[in-house]
Amino acid sequence: MRVPHPDALDRLVREITTQVRWRRAEHYGLRGAFWGAVAAVAPLLFRSVLGPWALPLGVILPATGAVAGALMGLLKRVSPADAARIADRAFGLDERLSTALEWADRGDRTPLVDSLVADATARVEGVQRRQVVRRIFPREARMLPVPVVLAVVLALAPPVPLPRASLPDFSSSAQREEARERGDGAMLEDRARPLTKDKQQRPVFEERDWAQKGATGAAATAGDLSAVFKDTSLANQRPDFNSFLKKGDERLKMLEQTDRLPDLQSDFTSSQYKMVFRKSKELKSGLRDTISPQKLKELLEEMDRLGRKNPGGWGQDVAEGMEALEGGQTDRAMDAMRKALDKMRAQDEAQRGGKNLRGGREADRRSGREGGRGEGGPEDQDFGEGEGMMPGKGKSGSPKGEASQRLRANPYDVGVEGESRRGRKDGFDTNMTGRAGKMSSRLSYMGIIGQYKKAMEDAISREQIPRDFHGQIRDYFQALDEK
Amino acid sequence: MTQDPRVDQFISSFQALRAEVEKVIVGHRDIIDHVLIGMFAGGHVLLEGVPGLGKTLLIKTLAEGLELSFARVQFTPDLMPADIIGTNIIVEDADGRKHFQFQPGPIFAHILLADEINRATPKTQSALLEGMQEGGVTVGGVSRPLPAPFFVLATQNPIEMEGTYPLPEAQLDRFLFKLRVRYPAIEELNAIIDRTTQLRAVQVDRVMTGPAVLGFRELVREVPIATHVRDLASAIVMATHPQWAQAPDVTRRFVRYGASPRGAQALVLGAKVKALSEGRYNVSVDDIRQLAAPALRHRVILNFEGEAEGIDVDTLVDQIVERAAAITTQGKEQFVR
Repeated sequence: MRVPHPDALDRLVREITTQVRWRRAEHYGLRGAFWGAVAAVAPLLFRSVLGPWALPLGVILPATGAVAGALMGLLKRVSPADAARIADRAFGLDERLSTALEWADRGDRTPLVDSLVADATARVEGVQRRQVVRRIFPREARMLPVPVVLAVVLALAPPVPLPRASLPDFSSSAQREEARERGDGAMLEDRARPLTKDKQQRPVFEERDWAQKGATGAAATAGDLSAVFKDTSLANQRPDFNSFLKKGDERLKMLEQTDRLPDLQSDFTSSQYKMVFRKSKELKSGLRDTISPQKLKELLEEMDRLGRKNPGGWGQDVAEGMEALEGGQTDRAMDAMRKALDKMRAQDEAQRGGKNLRGGREADRRSGREGGRGEGGPEDQDFGEGEGMMPGKGKSGSPKGEASQRLRANPYDVGVEGESRRGRKDGFDTNMTGRAGKMSSRLSYMGIIGQYKKAMEDAISREQIPRDFHGQIRDYFQALDEK
Repeated sequence: MTQDPRVDQFISSFQALRAEVEKVIVGHRDIIDHVLIGMFAGGHVLLEGVPGLGKTLLIKTLAEGLELSFARVQFTPDLMPADIIGTNIIVEDADGRKHFQFQPGPIFAHILLADEINRATPKTQSALLEGMQEGGVTVGGVSRPLPAPFFVLATQNPIEMEGTYPLPEAQLDRFLFKLRVRYPAIEELNAIIDRTTQLRAVQVDRVMTGPAVLGFRELVREVPIATHVRDLASAIVMATHPQWAQAPDVTRRFVRYGASPRGAQALVLGAKVKALSEGRYNVSVDDIRQLAAPALRHRVILNFEGEAEGIDVDTLVDQIVERAAAITTQGKEQFVR
């Protein structure tokens, strides 16, 4: 038995359905208006082509889209069950309406269904009717102003000029000339006209342009600067950019390896002594011990500056030299300058000493100087710049220089404890200096012996030493080790 | 006043029984309601809570409010199935002839309180299976029906796990609801103190008979449910299964086994009782939502990750319900699309 729906339930469902339809009409109308406005941009953009039809189209298209969308929203089907669910939720009916509508028509309905329908009807009649379907704006609604504003701007602005569709002219000047002679090129007429000379145009472009034209073998025309080169080798020669790039690459490679280039300045600028020594030699200008007081003063001032910057003990000598120079005693000033130069050299060598070893003979030499022994002597042998025992540089009369001292050549060299002389160290030498018994080494004995034994082994393997002597040499270092 | 007098009678009986229980039990309104809902839905209820919260007292009070037989079994590790079901014993008649006679166990009562059910061995726990599901037991090859209505109320303690035997999933599934008894609020605690420490005897009246309970159980099944509400219940149960295509991520990650169809039955039947108790003739979405946790929390088995992460099943069920609601209403709430 079919129980007729009470009118109140159906009425509420119809009202909800109507609300849903209108909301849908709004929703789809906005979407249609957006896409219509987007479509309206096209005729407004091509207003120059469409002429008087553009503006009406720009208005009609959005309106049509909105109307079509609204109609679609209105005509879409709304399920009564869905409308009942909306009403249940909106009016707090706890699914009474949807359940009653569903079960009223079912054949297996229970006696409770009648009570349910009656209960639902009573509650629906007491419901305060209102708009319960919320409005949902589509995504297009937020973007709608964009095409609308664009369309309005396009409608108010003058028509947009459209670019003419034509292919660029790839024909040569000769072909253009022929075309102009034929007079059949209205389109080519403008292009064939000689260009007005542009003062701002870079000449290199012109030359390249004309050189390429010349390379084509075309005949030179009037005003064509390529004619200037037509009798030269440049006329048909195109720039070889590949070779230029290759050379450029090589130069770039060299520039990238600047660290491998010799630093010609660093040797002298890194050494104060050498810099001053070189300067003094330049000032002497090849004359022996003759230098102008003015130059000598400048030199002393430079040495004084270096002394303040890097104290080395020559400040007093420089002061004496300046005082002597002011007194007109050039020779005394020269002596003071030499003393300062020696001290500068001594400091320079001390700084250049790799391990900065200090030993007995150095101390002896220093003490000897302090004791007024003066410079020179066999313990002052030096291979550095200036005086030494090298041929032609030492004070020895022998053209070969004095023989270097060997171990056990004097009693002072016996039993040296790991001390090497000061000065340039091009390698390990066995010129042991000083006497072990007088002063203590700052390095550990065993460590130094180890280094010397390693150097000894290297020397045995490297040098051509008779095999019979190998054992003797090793015994010697073994004896040092045991000590 | 509603249209159907049976519904009016149900509502009044329901409220009267609840009032009798509340004479003794302070607070725990939702627990009382859920126990009554379980009883009228024809199911059994498992109450879980720490000692001293009144679980046993609630059940005893409920039994006192009903004109039904009541039995209590204290489950212990040495309890045997025969101690619950009963056994055949040899008796001697007047003629001196001996024969077996069935001695029924405590299960042959309308209301059975299985106190601390997790302290018995699984063998003994399983003795309740047939009775809870089929309403009868088989002893010595003879099936014996249990009295109707038959209602098992079990309690268990969640913290004293030593020496206990957690209920197997098959046994848990027999319970319509699993209720968590929580600590009372301070006002309720004050009322408990006042009520239990003074010289005042509380008399619980019997307000409902067994046939009335059975009649209400039939009435409950007449309550209509809308299709979309039923779909929501089904979706909730399906969403507890990690294999389901539309299962939420939490289910896929933390759940090993989902709820059985008994879960959906419990959900809908409980919702129907709840609707009737509130004077409605139909099941609402809110009924389903509110009963999802009691009906499903013991049917959702967490996997290792869920156990290790300490996932609360109630929270998980809430998330599942939200996901299921989104699935069922998808495309129907946004009518303007």
